[in-house]
Amino acid sequence: MTTAKIEKLDRLIEATATARDAKTGSLWRQSIRRMRHSPMALTGAIIVGLFVLVAVVGPWVAPYDPTAQTWGREVFLNQNIFPGPRPENWFGLDHLGRDMFSRMIVGARQTLLVGVVATFIGFIAGAFIGGVAAAAGTFGGRWGERVEAVIMRAVDVALAIPMLLLALSVAALLGPSLRTVMIAVGVAQIPIFARLLRGSMLAQAHSDYVLAAIAIGVPKGRIVVSHILPNSLGPVIVQATLVLATAIIEAAALSYLGLGNPDPGSAEWGTMLADAQRFLSGAPQLAIYPAVGIIVTALGFTLLGEAMRESLDPRLRRQE
Amino acid sequence: MSTEQTEPHVPAQRTEEPDLSAAATASTRLLEVEDLKVHFPIRRGIVVERTVGHVQAVDGVGLGIDSGGTYGLVGESGCGKTTFGRAVLRLEEPTAGRVRLGGEEVTAMKGERLRRFRSRMQMVFQDPLGSLNPRHNVDMLLSEPLKVHGVGSKAERRKLAVETLDAVGLPKSVLERFPHEFSGGQRQRLGIARALMLRPDLIVCDEPVSALDVSIQAQVMNLLDELQDEFGLTYLVIAHDLAVVRHLSDRVGVMYLGKLVEEADSETIYERPRHPYTKALLSAVPQPDPEVEANRERIILKGDLPSPANPPSGCRFRTRCPWAEDICAEVEPEWREAAGGHKVACHFDL
Amino acid sequence: MALLEVEDLRVAFGASTAVDGVSFSVPEGKVVGLVGESGCGKSVTSLAIMGLLPKGRGRKARQPVLAAASEPVGSGLKATAAAPQSIAASGGRSRGGADVNGRAVFDGTDLLSLAPAAMRRRRGKDLAMVFQDPLSSLNPVVPIGRQITEVLERHRGLKGDKASKEAANLLDRVGIPDPTRRLKEYPHQLSGGMRQRVLIAIAVACAPRLLIADEPTTALDVTIQAQILELLKDLVETEGTALLMITHDLGVVAGICDEVNVLYSGRVVESAPVRELFARPTHPYTIGLLGSIPRLDLPIHEPLTPIRGSIADVIRWHDGCAFAPRCDRVAAPCVEGEPALVGAVHAHRCVMAEEVA
Repeated sequence: MTTAKIEKLDRLIEATATARDAKTGSLWRQSIRRMRHSPMALTGAIIVGLFVLVAVVGPWVAPYDPTAQTWGREVFLNQNIFPGPRPENWFGLDHLGRDMFSRMIVGARQTLLVGVVATFIGFIAGAFIGGVAAAAGTFGGRWGERVEAVIMRAVDVALAIPMLLLALSVAALLGPSLRTVMIAVGVAQIPIFARLLRGSMLAQAHSDYVLAAIAIGVPKGRIVVSHILPNSLGPVIVQATLVLATAIIEAAALSYLGLGNPDPGSAEWGTMLADAQRFLSGAPQLAIYPAVGIIVTALGFTLLGEAMRESLDPRLRRQE
Repeated sequence: MSTEQTEPHVPAQRTEEPDLSAAATASTRLLEVEDLKVHFPIRRGIVVERTVGHVQAVDGVGLGIDSGGTYGLVGESGCGKTTFGRAVLRLEEPTAGRVRLGGEEVTAMKGERLRRFRSRMQMVFQDPLGSLNPRHNVDMLLSEPLKVHGVGSKAERRKLAVETLDAVGLPKSVLERFPHEFSGGQRQRLGIARALMLRPDLIVCDEPVSALDVSIQAQVMNLLDELQDEFGLTYLVIAHDLAVVRHLSDRVGVMYLGKLVEEADSETIYERPRHPYTKALLSAVPQPDPEVEANRERIILKGDLPSPANPPSGCRFRTRCPWAEDICAEVEPEWREAAGGHKVACHFDL
Repeated sequence: MALLEVEDLRVAFGASTAVDGVSFSVPEGKVVGLVGESGCGKSVTSLAIMGLLPKGRGRKARQPVLAAASEPVGSGLKATAAAPQSIAASGGRSRGGADVNGRAVFDGTDLLSLAPAAMRRRRGKDLAMVFQDPLSSLNPVVPIGRQITEVLERHRGLKGDKASKEAANLLDRVGIPDPTRRLKEYPHQLSGGMRQRVLIAIAVACAPRLLIADEPTTALDVTIQAQILELLKDLVETEGTALLMITHDLGVVAGICDEVNVLYSGRVVESAPVRELFARPTHPYTIGLLGSIPRLDLPIHEPLTPIRGSIADVIRWHDGCAFAPRCDRVAAPCVEGEPALVGAVHAHRCVMAEEVA
């Protein structure tokens, strides 16, 4: 009888001592686990997932050729006759008699491509600049502090230039094309990423574990790469997701201004929006489809970004 | 990682042994600090920075620790004790003064030489969670010191990590875990294990137990005691808690506003404190005994700590000292030996 | 009947229980201590009495509720950071509010059943609280004088010069030199000890009958701690205020408390008059705590006898004694259901107490 009790006690002690609750695993894994329970993250992930899926398989599943003016004779511009949704054309026809549904689906790929490439450019270049500045300022001594100051003042100047102006200059330099849009939008994001990563790295550089690494004798380069950087990336990754949303909108704006793909036949949401402008009073649906597409996609990325920000937030982490 | 050169399992720094003849005369003296000063410039201005003054965080502190001994440095927040500890380890740049460890002048070292030398002096931090990289698991935390000093192969490093974990009372099974998966006391054990990995001579413990719960504090203090015997360690314990310092140390120094005001064997300083500040500190520590508490006389100090950017003239403690007289404002008291091995900086024999 | 009678207080954050049936009383003019380590439920107990725990669901609810913690409303004092942290430390969840059960009878009324508005009227007037972190409990952009006069206006109807004069009196009362000049200063211009004095001044502004101090000296240096403890003691002696002292420091308890309740894992494990508790500690946890503290008045290098394990190693009270995994004297009866609190003046919750004693 007593031995059974003792066994029960042992079991209890063992259970409490070896219990590994939700707090296990690396911080990244924990963040993902938290995100799985967030309705915001779920909604964002579903939207983004659908968008990416459409972008990837779009050209194969689109019912018609997005550039073919198959129904050109059914559209009468001067009488404002644009056939609306019907069984063979779910979203109706555009001003040249092309199938809007197919154009939307195929356009998704261009939009995603622009967003991802532009963000990638901004992320890599910005993170590099910010990282170098932070590393120089932290470990470069007085000379390094000067390097950091020069870099960051340049970044501040760049930040002060309006994005559109910057983009227009880039476009003037390279000529209108999809590549121009990507570079223009990407370049405009560089200062944001640079500042963000630098700030995040400086905060980490003053933490105790970095001091501990110095005390151990870890070489400076290794401290930056293996200690400071991995702990600084969280906010930058969140920002990248949020920037993807703005990049999509900005790319659309540039295409709308005619700086995008000069091929008038190409399906791209921004160009579609620009084209629809002329017929806004007669056929607002032509503008609504790409506009809703852009808004929903941007919203999806924003939701995902916000959910990531929340799940990476150290203050919330501690409360669990 | 796999390209890492595999050296024989001998800590590298042991090969460049200092010439013992010099150290042999003071055979037991491990750490010697002379007149150490750390001043932080106060900068003003946005476009053109100029220095408008200095915070005299540490202003001429000297002390020595025998090999295998424990020196306890007490003082309240802002007295410069943490800065002193960091300056000894060259984690903070000293403005002036000398630090010698095992006969080698730490303050004269630079770059790679200093980095290699760090394996002989380690630190245990106050905040056990903050001082562990949250993205490194225990295996990475413990093998990093060996890796950066080129000690052993991967397997050897792991073996040493397991041995050290055992020494601090943690099982081998924690190797794959991350810092946030441990309790406060266990994290501090990890911090101590990391400091032990290179088998250093000196460990500076900066408030090693103040972030822990009472029942855990005792575990960690006992652990520090055990490890000292097992690994022949020398400690510099920095703490605000006089009882903790007394428990761990053989010799105690009391700091006030960047200077030592009293130093003696830990027995003596608690039995016969000579500096008014030490007396006040001792009388202020609440004792877990209502009888003692009801009957003791408290020296309640007036006011707050003056700014270390603009310390009082003469004796720095005079603004709060119940015994202060005119001379205290005019002449800075010298650091004198009041009795055998009992040093004090006060004009009076209290 | 004591001024405050807490009966069977239970606080749960979702599935985790922070306070698990705590009862104690605070008589007028006495200092009662709640002692324990992080996560024992001492801070949650005090917040529950003050009605400062978030109710209902949703994380956002916490901020406004806590903002009310530090009266007055208007420009108000900033929500204290100490409170949410202590909730978190007690195993509380960020999501969902606290389910509070039991009674906290203050002068005949059960505070826990009061409507939020009625409770707000009492807070600051009848009962006040002092938190651990004085900086985050004060509004950084409002001069301290204004922060005090706001309380005076709200609860005592004092206005203009009268209020300022009274505020200066209060600062003088808590030992702040040159009070009229200090009234115009901002919290960041004061030292930690001064800030804690200001908080105490705000807390005692309306001569509350019960003061709850949650680790009021933990963030301070020993010499400053001694000043603040003297001040609190003096308040109790001269004004007859009842003080509920929440602390982890047995030294502070020995110095200031009349009665002590030792908490472990959300329950009182031992309660006794202070001298009795230190002279004859009965619960192994109390004994363990006392054995863990290095003392200045005992021979040097006396080995400490720590409690093994960590605070996380608890089992649920209804399975047996929550302290059992860390207890040196653990035996079979310890896990035969929950141990009862036995004894009147000196009560303890240990089935092995006979053997221990």
